[in-house]
Amino acid sequence: MDPLLQFNGLTKTIIIPESKTLFAQASGTINEGDRIAVTGPSGQGKSTLLRILALLDEPDSGELFLKGKPKNRWEPRLWRMEVCYVSQFPVMLNGTVEDNLKTVSRLHQTAFDAAYASRLMAHVELGEMSWSKEASSLSGGEKQRIALVRSLLLRPKLLLLDEVTASLDEASKLAVEQLLRETNRSEGTGYVWISHDREQGKRIAERSWQLSGSELSEGAVTCL
Amino acid sequence: MSLIALGMTLVFVAVSIGISIWQKLSLEKDILIGTVRSAAQLLAVGFVLQYVFGTSHPLIVLLMLLIMIGVATWNAGKRGKGLRGILLRIGITISITEFVTLGLLLALGIIPFSTRYIIPISGMTIGNAMVVSSLFLNQMKREAETSRGEVETLLSLGATPRQAIHELLKRSARSSMIPTIDGMKTVGLVQLPGMMTGMIVAGASPLEAVRYQILIMFAFSSSAALTSILLALMSYRLWFGTQGQFKSSKTSA
Repeated sequence: MDPLLQFNGLTKTIIIPESKTLFAQASGTINEGDRIAVTGPSGQGKSTLLRILALLDEPDSGELFLKGKPKNRWEPRLWRMEVCYVSQFPVMLNGTVEDNLKTVSRLHQTAFDAAYASRLMAHVELGEMSWSKEASSLSGGEKQRIALVRSLLLRPKLLLLDEVTASLDEASKLAVEQLLRETNRSEGTGYVWISHDREQGKRIAERSWQLSGSELSEGAVTCL
Repeated sequence: MSLIALGMTLVFVAVSIGISIWQKLSLEKDILIGTVRSAAQLLAVGFVLQYVFGTSHPLIVLLMLLIMIGVATWNAGKRGKGLRGILLRIGITISITEFVTLGLLLALGIIPFSTRYIIPISGMTIGNAMVVSSLFLNQMKREAETSRGEVETLLSLGATPRQAIHELLKRSARSSMIPTIDGMKTVGLVQLPGMMTGMIVAGASPLEAVRYQILIMFAFSSSAALTSILLALMSYRLWFGTQGQFKSSKTSA
């Protein structure tokens, strides 16, 4: 069977603020349901790598395949519905919490699964939150969790998580981890999770990627 | 107006140069260039119009309109630097706006088919479309910087480029139309518009002048709406790359 996502020889150089090769000839394979932690010093291009995998950024060179089909044969929109990037800076769209939760069903004209949304909200300890609240008035941690629920409602095959628990307190962080492990079990949703927290990496991942010195390497989770 | 009277108007230029020297604004050179250019350009246009009104040949009129559209496109295009293909889209937008506005004015018999009407009214329509295009592109550039997160959030959730950029287009279209709409609200109370002033000074009755001004204001409101919507629909793809990524995105490590 084809791997879910595969990339070969990805190279990305940035010019701002200074000319720098973030990574060169990076290759990797992600199978369905894989749980991967990405670690490495700041500023090494972990976010950029994830953004490239979500087609939000373009590599200078290299190939990307989703389900064995090269990137240029995919409609970007359909690719992103399978591979969903969740930013470390959550953006709430105009309107209420409910408007935000309904974004996916509005964009794709599908029925809104209110029961599933409530369940997810409860899982991230937002079960008591009023959905009529203005989304812009929420705290950073609340926005982060709603952004995650909003993405889970898309039911992607793979989540690209960019330090999504960085602004959460310990209890919420553990709740989010548990939710993502559960979604992984029940729905087969895999994830590639950037985290600076080694302990978290051990809890959430079965594989580990390290990005440093413009090289991407795979190591054991126990070595995190 | 006699040539002597026209010459006397240089006194106003002297006032501005005097103030510039007195307050060390260093604007004397620019004021002089502006004075010479405005006089030369307007006198040249005067001669051209005298000739065009004399012949009324449709091809000459068409040529005049094309030149006006060309200059307006080039001018508005400066706001869209970095967007490949924006000039063509502005050109098409302004042309359609002019065609629809003038077409309606002629077809409904609001103005007669005469160069005396067609050229000045087209000039104002095209000029307004140029300003609206510039405002639209300016605002879009600002939005592209400040609302990048919004667009990319929507893209990440599987939105099409059009869905992802829809709110930005709406906000930019609104902000490009607001000056025209505000102008409609205050016209006559704050200032008398140039065309109306000109007609009154040239001897037309104020009521006649007002009628034409109303025509212009109403035509502007539709041409502003038409310009911003056409430009929005034709240009939104330019903000996205080949793989549908939002172009303004800077690479963050």
